Amino acid sequence: MTSHLEPVPGPLGGRHPRIDAAAKVTGSTRYVADLALPGMLHAALATATVASARVLGVDTAAARAHADVVAVLTAADVPANSIGVIFGDQPLLVTDRVRMVGDRFALVAARTAEAAWTAARLVGASLEELPGVFDPVAAVADDAPLVNGASNVFRTFHVQRGDTAKQAKRAAVVVEAEYRVGGQDHAYLEPQGCLAIPEGRERITIVASCQCPFYIQQGVASVLGLPLAAVRVEQAPTGGGFGGKEDYPTEPAACAALLAWHTGHPVRLIYPRELDLQATTKRHAMVVRHRWGADRAGRLRFAEVETFMDAGAYVGLSTVVAERANVSAIGPYHVGAVRVATHVVYTNNLFGGAFRGFGAPQVTWAAEATMDKLATRLGMDPVELRRVNVLDDTRRTICTGQRLRTPVLAREVLDRAVELAGWDGFRAAPPAADGAWRHGMGVSLVLYGCNLHWGGQRLDRSSAVVILQADGSVVVRVGLTEMGQGNLTACQTVAAAALGVDPSQVQVWQPDTTTVADSGPTVASRGSLMSGRAILDAVRRLRVRLDPVAAELLGCRPGEVELAGGFARVAGSPERAVAMQAVAKEMSARRIETIATGWHRTKARRFDPATGQGAPYEFYAMACHVARVAVDPGLGIVRVEEVTAAHDVGRVLHRDALEGQIHGGVVQGMGWGVSEELRLDRGRLVNPNFTDYVIPTSADAPRITIALVESDSEAGPCGAKGIGEPSFIPTAAAVRNAVCDALGVEVDTLPLTPPRLVEALGERHPFAWVVEAATRPATEHEPATVGPRA
Amino acid sequence: MDVPVQRVVRPRTLDEALVMLAEQPRSRPIAGGTDLMVQLRDGRRSADTLVDLDGLDLAGVHEVDLGVEIGAATTMDAIARHPLVRRRWPALAEAAALVGAWPIQCRATLGGNLANASPAADAVPPLLVADAAVRLASPSGERTIALERFFRGPGTTVMAPGELIVAVLLPAPSAGRVVERFVKVGPRREQIISMVSLAGRAVVSADGTLHDVRVALGAVAPIPVRARRVEAHLEGRRPDAATRREAAARLQADIAPIDDLRAPAAYRRIAAAVLLDRFLEACHG
Repeated sequence: MTSHLEPVPGPLGGRHPRIDAAAKVTGSTRYVADLALPGMLHAALATATVASARVLGVDTAAARAHADVVAVLTAADVPANSIGVIFGDQPLLVTDRVRMVGDRFALVAARTAEAAWTAARLVGASLEELPGVFDPVAAVADDAPLVNGASNVFRTFHVQRGDTAKQAKRAAVVVEAEYRVGGQDHAYLEPQGCLAIPEGRERITIVASCQCPFYIQQGVASVLGLPLAAVRVEQAPTGGGFGGKEDYPTEPAACAALLAWHTGHPVRLIYPRELDLQATTKRHAMVVRHRWGADRAGRLRFAEVETFMDAGAYVGLSTVVAERANVSAIGPYHVGAVRVATHVVYTNNLFGGAFRGFGAPQVTWAAEATMDKLATRLGMDPVELRRVNVLDDTRRTICTGQRLRTPVLAREVLDRAVELAGWDGFRAAPPAADGAWRHGMGVSLVLYGCNLHWGGQRLDRSSAVVILQADGSVVVRVGLTEMGQGNLTACQTVAAAALGVDPSQVQVWQPDTTTVADSGPTVASRGSLMSGRAILDAVRRLRVRLDPVAAELLGCRPGEVELAGGFARVAGSPERAVAMQAVAKEMSARRIETIATGWHRTKARRFDPATGQGAPYEFYAMACHVARVAVDPGLGIVRVEEVTAAHDVGRVLHRDALEGQIHGGVVQGMGWGVSEELRLDRGRLVNPNFTDYVIPTSADAPRITIALVESDSEAGPCGAKGIGEPSFIPTAAAVRNAVCDALGVEVDTLPLTPPRLVEALGERHPFAWVVEAATRPATEHEPATVGPRA
Repeated sequence: MDVPVQRVVRPRTLDEALVMLAEQPRSRPIAGGTDLMVQLRDGRRSADTLVDLDGLDLAGVHEVDLGVEIGAATTMDAIARHPLVRRRWPALAEAAALVGAWPIQCRATLGGNLANASPAADAVPPLLVADAAVRLASPSGERTIALERFFRGPGTTVMAPGELIVAVLLPAPSAGRVVERFVKVGPRREQIISMVSLAGRAVVSADGTLHDVRVALGAVAPIPVRARRVEAHLEGRRPDAATRREAAARLQADIAPIDDLRAPAAYRRIAAAVLLDRFLEACHG
């Protein structure tokens, strides 16, 4: 028996090394593109380059004749040709109609990747081009060409609370605005990729870069007509997801699986970046119309929001995105009456799908812009207006009528961010212009629902397996994935804390659908919450067998055993301790079962989809970002100098991973807000590369100051709340408000690129006149006639 | 996808390289490859044979009688760090340090930047204000032409098939109090293709008047251009507010920007005017 007198701080809230960091930075991690098997073939896709057409025929003869080609498949070769994640509106391979650039005509398997892609380009599709729809508002018009089905409005989601007409009478100021909020690409480092390994005609393994192995399992089983048990999906180490590897990877997985099934060979499919940018899902572009009113005191009396979501040609997850957008549409504010209508609209543009924030960033951008406009009209400080309206413990009903659990920390995150950022000082004495640079500060809040919406409740569950090894080390399996966000490390932390061992003793392995039960998708900032709760449940069940063994070694009752510092010890007498290794060894010697499963599901809730009233999410996280920017109005250049991020996180699991999420969210949010623009020409992306699709580099990253507002809650494991999405959502809105503050003009289109800012300045730009001067004959360039208008 | 090239040959001497380029149909020289590799992959340029210029002793900054000669294979990084270039042609050093990212600067060469003939090429406006000339070699001999006459349009130059850029000549800059600047505009701080760029150079006399004014811009015309109307107007004038306004107006006839995915023409006109104004303000100060 070893004595251990000092209390040992557990790993919670600490900074122990990330489980996957060393392997990733030393290049030892094997991503799917690094995997090869004997006899492996390479897949390629023959895809449409126009967005809307009738398919008259697909000719694969030239592709088949190409050297090294083994198989070319078309829709006729697909057992069940449907791939939609929720709705059956999307074929895996098109038959009669092209609805988006990137729609697949045929799949090619060849002995080399070069041969496969070359042959894919030889697939001839005979097309009759049809008129397309390239704007979600235009798509709603009666005479708009139909994209997919009987109406371009797939569905409309509502929130109706209170009487907006009545409340409007009490409004002293009303702001009406139309915001055009652009989409975004995930820009994960690793493009889409997977490897399909058939075993005869009985079963198949898919190794995929993905967030949701269970989605792939279902999609592949459905396309091949196999039972779920015959499809094994192993998540490969995944080089970034951000939502882009939620729903989409099922498509490449089904393609590779079909080719593997058909040829009997392993088949690997890796997307070229251009195809990845063009064809995979994107953050939805949205048009958001507002009519909001406040009384003289700044109290929000009513808010009307109508949103047109550009879903692209297939619904995908757009309905779920719309549901989340609705809950965040008026922010964490108390509003007398609310009307929200969000239309999911088909177009022939890019495919809208999951992306960090899931509809909330677009509506938050609009809501926080309108808050600033109201503040201007009322002559109020933007922070003061928010303080008048923000939810707190005394006023905690959101637009769906749900009363939030206390503590409601929206006011706290606002106060902390504003104080840390030096808001009052900045407003009282704004910094003088520094050469060409003018300074501005902006604020944004967000109301974020953790985990899945009511509509996805059936998926909101999670599975874990904990295995105590004979040497005291621990294997953990969970159903939710690591994609760079730190889930392995969060799970390791929770398991280590629950078992009282050092994190280095715990190995959490990438998910595999044969080791744990369907845990739903790794989305909605639910990875560590749901995995962690399932791990706690598994440890609880393991201790039913572990504690009696430890008690015997310690000479106490099983109920007195506590696990801490690498020991089992007697509660209240920490000097009576036995090392966990000894307990594990004893359990092994006695052949006691050392594997335990765990399960967690969220609480059932009520919600009325017709009115949007009820409890859409189980609990919420608040966040506030304050951005300080420098703007060069002459050139329209924005430099985000500092973002102060205050987050309601519950309790910290792993501090480095948490801060990393916030850093990443801020930089990605800033990129979306100022430089990332998906430029389309009739549905075709004209900047499908990172030369012209401009994501920030580290040189652009602002200083990031973080304030964590911790509280105890019944949220995730050890009181944690999700951070992945809340860290992204407010940044672009805060930057927008800061830029408008610096420039003194309103900009209602995202992103805030240099040309857009110069255009917004209009005649206020000292050189606006040169454009007109350029169109006049040179002889008119007399000094006396040239100059800015008064 | 790989680059669809049949072979890469490595000549040991310049003469050997010139023969290879002349004799091999569909051959191209390659140095840093930072533009060419991407274009070959995308199919924007094609080649069966790549003639590797590495090892031909084409890199280096050498002082010559009337200035310096920069070998075509000199990297942007070497140019950006070269003491003489930094002292006498600061705009060129600045531009070289803004090409792509630093790893790209360590591969990309000056000759490649010219041969690629992008209207937005960062190194070109500073070379234009330096009155640079390009030395070209072919099996039949050498010729030297002014850089201003080197480009024909986006991606095209006056080089004959088989001709190779071997060096860029920079004549000694004029004496006196010189103000020289290079600025590029883009939506992020580094690793960005210019929406507009401007290099300016002027000698400021004791009385504040400007002489030997040279202004060149990138990404505002099919090729990088000297703003000759602006230069003529500024000669002998003080860059006061009225002069600067007139210069901004005249600039509009020197440039011919278009709308493309990187920026609309109107923005380019305005931004070019702002960059010119700021350069002249610096001359005024």
